[in-house]
Amino acid sequence: MDALDALINKVGYLPPLPQQVPQMLELLRKDEVDSDQVVTLIAHDPSLTANVMRLCNSVMFGAATPATDLHEAVLRLGFREVCQLVLVISTASTLMPPQKAYGLEASELWKHSVATALAAKTIATDLGDDANMAFTAGLLHDVGKVILARALEDTYATLLSDVEQTMIPMVEAEKKLLGFQHAEVGGRMLARWKFSAPLVAGVWFHHDPIKAHPHERLAAYVFLGNMIAYFMGHGYGHLAFAFRGRAEALEILNIQPEALPHYMLQTFEALEDVKGLLNFGSAST
Amino acid sequence: MGAPQLIGFEHKLVVGVGDMAVSNNPNLVLTTYSLGSCLGISIYDPVVRVAGLLHIMLPDSTIDPAKAAARPCMFVDTGTPLLFRSAYELGAVRQRLKITVAGGAQIMDGSGFFNIGKRNIDAFSELLARNSLSVVASQVGGMVNRTMNLHISTGAIRLKISGQPDEVSLWTP
Repeated sequence: MDALDALINKVGYLPPLPQQVPQMLELLRKDEVDSDQVVTLIAHDPSLTANVMRLCNSVMFGAATPATDLHEAVLRLGFREVCQLVLVISTASTLMPPQKAYGLEASELWKHSVATALAAKTIATDLGDDANMAFTAGLLHDVGKVILARALEDTYATLLSDVEQTMIPMVEAEKKLLGFQHAEVGGRMLARWKFSAPLVAGVWFHHDPIKAHPHERLAAYVFLGNMIAYFMGHGYGHLAFAFRGRAEALEILNIQPEALPHYMLQTFEALEDVKGLLNFGSAST
Repeated sequence: MGAPQLIGFEHKLVVGVGDMAVSNNPNLVLTTYSLGSCLGISIYDPVVRVAGLLHIMLPDSTIDPAKAAARPCMFVDTGTPLLFRSAYELGAVRQRLKITVAGGAQIMDGSGFFNIGKRNIDAFSELLARNSLSVVASQVGGMVNRTMNLHISTGAIRLKISGQPDEVSLWTP
């Protein structure tokens, strides 16, 4: 066990990962999936079933007549869409609570994560890469903050003044104070949860994508998705913008900076579609 | 004597991204959440008490002309004139308008590739300069996410900075 594991153990709290998540990711990896498997997985959880049905029958999917059961919902939406809905709904319990040490109010980390996931997916789709991977990595990229917030409880003021006075990025201030930063803690948590190597790397290096080799494309999607989420106002906590721009992310994906406003507009549309459904509307101020 | 004001009965009207609101209802507080690199642009005529708030995301409508046609308030160059024209329709006079702006946050970016916030601020400043207008107050740039509140009853603009407990005043008449 190395020092990173020791920190996670010392905090004594690993947020529970909803049991459907690893199984959903396993299904998403396959080319062909029996829709029965997806239905079985969801049907175990009544509130999840209710949420999937509610989302399926919402205006988002333009259903003329409502789907009456899960089978119909999965057939209509396609299993990949359903898996994404399940991921969003099931990670909410982990990401929804306030993280005082980061100045994050209830639901803010979750909103940020969903916005990041949609932005990362938007870019990956445009460039023909695996959009589900980008979505999942985006959704989970800041899960390390849930652990670090506990370790940082008494040092948040120090962290902020460090960032403000020395103009170093938040991740570097975390590293200086605690020996670790949230991206690597998150990566390690995903590894402990037995997530695939690309997802672990995509989260671990989301602030420095070039180090994620050979998974640098995924890390670049998460980096840009994260940044777009901040730009569009879904980045909370004090000094939320204290992170480095990584021009390498553009080089890795071979895109021009001029593409970013277009991805912002597309992400805006994607967010509009889910906002009402996820009670995403107005921030808590 | 004018109509009694319902003090303590202020209603919040939320202005979304790429949207705006203009009103002379003194019971309204126009609010726009979480500006990020976006800009919140406000105007206020203290004589007729007409106020407007706009939340733009991008500097220039040439980025996506079709989008700009459908949603002009998404861009500085198409949203700002619309904000002013809507206030004129309610009796506001250009020379009396108090203009403020907030937002345009920036990450730590030496490359300049990710400077959407700065480009928004620059586009707005140039537009004001071309029209011989200037702001009475601004809080732009920096690394913080801001929420902007415009109290029509007084014209006061207050900012809530994410992660900070208290609102701060941007401008009061």
